[in-house]
Amino acid sequence: MRISRLLTDYAIAFFLLCSLGFVLPRLLPGDPFLAIYGEEAALSMTPEMKAEIYRRFALDQSWGTQFVAYFASLLRADLGWSYYFNAPVGKVMAGFLPWTILLAGASLLISTVGGFVLGLESGSRKGSRWDKGLFAGLMLVGGVPDFFVGALLLLGFAVIWPLFPLGGAVTVYGGQAGWAWGLDVLRHLALPLASLVLARMTTLYLLCRNSAALLLKAPFLRTARSKGCDEGSIRYRHLGRSVLLPAATSAGLHLSHLFAGILMIEVVFGYPGMGTLLHRALAARDYPLLQGILLLASVTVLGVNFFVELLYPILDPRVKTACISNTERS
Amino acid sequence: MHIQYGKKLKSGPGLLGLYLLIFWAAVALAGFFLTPYAPEAYAGKAFLPPSAAHWLGTNDVGQDLLSQLMAGARTSLGVAIGAAFVSALLGALLGAGGTLVGGSVERLTVRMMDVGLVIPPILAAMLAAAYLQPGSFTLIGILAFFFWPGTGRLLRSQTLLLRESGPVTAARTFGAGRWYLLRRHVLPDLAPVLSAAMIHDARRAVFLEAGLAFLGISDPLAQSWGRMIQQALAFTYLDAWSWWLLPPGIAVSSLVLAFALIGTGLEETHAAD
Repeated sequence: MRISRLLTDYAIAFFLLCSLGFVLPRLLPGDPFLAIYGEEAALSMTPEMKAEIYRRFALDQSWGTQFVAYFASLLRADLGWSYYFNAPVGKVMAGFLPWTILLAGASLLISTVGGFVLGLESGSRKGSRWDKGLFAGLMLVGGVPDFFVGALLLLGFAVIWPLFPLGGAVTVYGGQAGWAWGLDVLRHLALPLASLVLARMTTLYLLCRNSAALLLKAPFLRTARSKGCDEGSIRYRHLGRSVLLPAATSAGLHLSHLFAGILMIEVVFGYPGMGTLLHRALAARDYPLLQGILLLASVTVLGVNFFVELLYPILDPRVKTACISNTERS
Repeated sequence: MHIQYGKKLKSGPGLLGLYLLIFWAAVALAGFFLTPYAPEAYAGKAFLPPSAAHWLGTNDVGQDLLSQLMAGARTSLGVAIGAAFVSALLGALLGAGGTLVGGSVERLTVRMMDVGLVIPPILAAMLAAAYLQPGSFTLIGILAFFFWPGTGRLLRSQTLLLRESGPVTAARTFGAGRWYLLRRHVLPDLAPVLSAAMIHDARRAVFLEAGLAFLGISDPLAQSWGRMIQQALAFTYLDAWSWWLLPPGIAVSSLVLAFALIGTGLEETHAAD
């Protein structure tokens, strides 16, 4: 019952998201071809190519037929043709995706572990000077938009004090291999990664701090203490375990914020991932590419959230009916 | 439990947030007629450092940056307040209203909210904005469209509690209609939840407005802090960043912080009740 309802919700959401990409360009006045591909693309395409696109997306047919053609091509993972790169959108994205996956994976891991540890340490000493300082500091950092954190780090550690490279993912024409190449990648990764972790850690920190503080007087902690467990083991093995699962699910549910942050941070550092690609697509008005990037991001978020919601009652048996609170889902 | 608003935000972080918000509201209001130069006009030489004539200096084409900052405050606060209000209106109408009406209307609105909550608002707003290249009013519409399910869900759970509460049942036995119940008994008690949701939405709207402008997904003619930061980033090799990049960045951050602080302050007063 619950699962089927959840599945319907996500199916409708998926359908609506995909339809956005169909409806929006057609809301604009004029030829759908021009709205979907933009004038620059129309000028640069050969007549045969135009005819091919008309045929594939049934642009000269009724809206109903167009919609079916649009959806059919989406399901074939055919996202259209990027005129700017003169290649299929899927292929262009595949070239930029690995860097984004590296950045996303590393920042998700570090900000989750960091937020968890700091939140636990802070919450289990609630009211102390340590806790207050950390709370105020992270609240302050959490209010700064991702791209401004990135801009500040760029200015501080690449412009004024040139510890790290200004941008990119590897030194161009560096000709490095093996360990030197790996080190070069890490040096380029450091600043974008640090910006993302700083900007994204606060949410999880606050969540862990609150749940830890609420549990401080729980009987099972008193039991552990009276058994003679040392503080470290109480904090991590007893208190930590109860905080861990909501923390892990929250990390999954905030994936959309992380993705949006990545898109912007990549622009700041010229990191060659999806964000930079999006920026170029926008500048060139390459709409199919733009739509492909944002659809991929939102569908990934949708998929991960669905998975998390399915797993939620299994991960945390205390929650019989998985009801993830509203603020968590936003 | 009708709450006295005068007593709120009298201390600590909430008050600080309120002062920050008042400051930016004043700057935004002044931005309507008191900008020293027209924000898009050529006002002096390029890359002038701050001086008496240009308090925040000029940018690469000689536009006055203080004027741009003030016009940006107008956009940012306008979009935040607009989005928060429209989202609150939709949330109250569909979340609280639907719950009071009950039956198939309730089922429909609940399903709408459930589906809406699943859609990631930031990414969906980016997709919509990329096509529509929105000015402020369209942007408010887009943001409210993706924000309201959160507000609606909060209001619904509160309304469910209120629907079964003493005063409402009593009024109903006296023959009060739905509209009367909503206006007289439910809406006033929804106010604390509603205000918290609006503050939350306003904060996200400031964030998103700046972010979209930073990525270049907005009306290219609108003044925006996000756009200022984006333009300034291209000139990090010059000293201009200290008067071009830092002020709008600090402005966005402090406005986001103001809403966050007010939100925390409101939560604390609720917890104390």
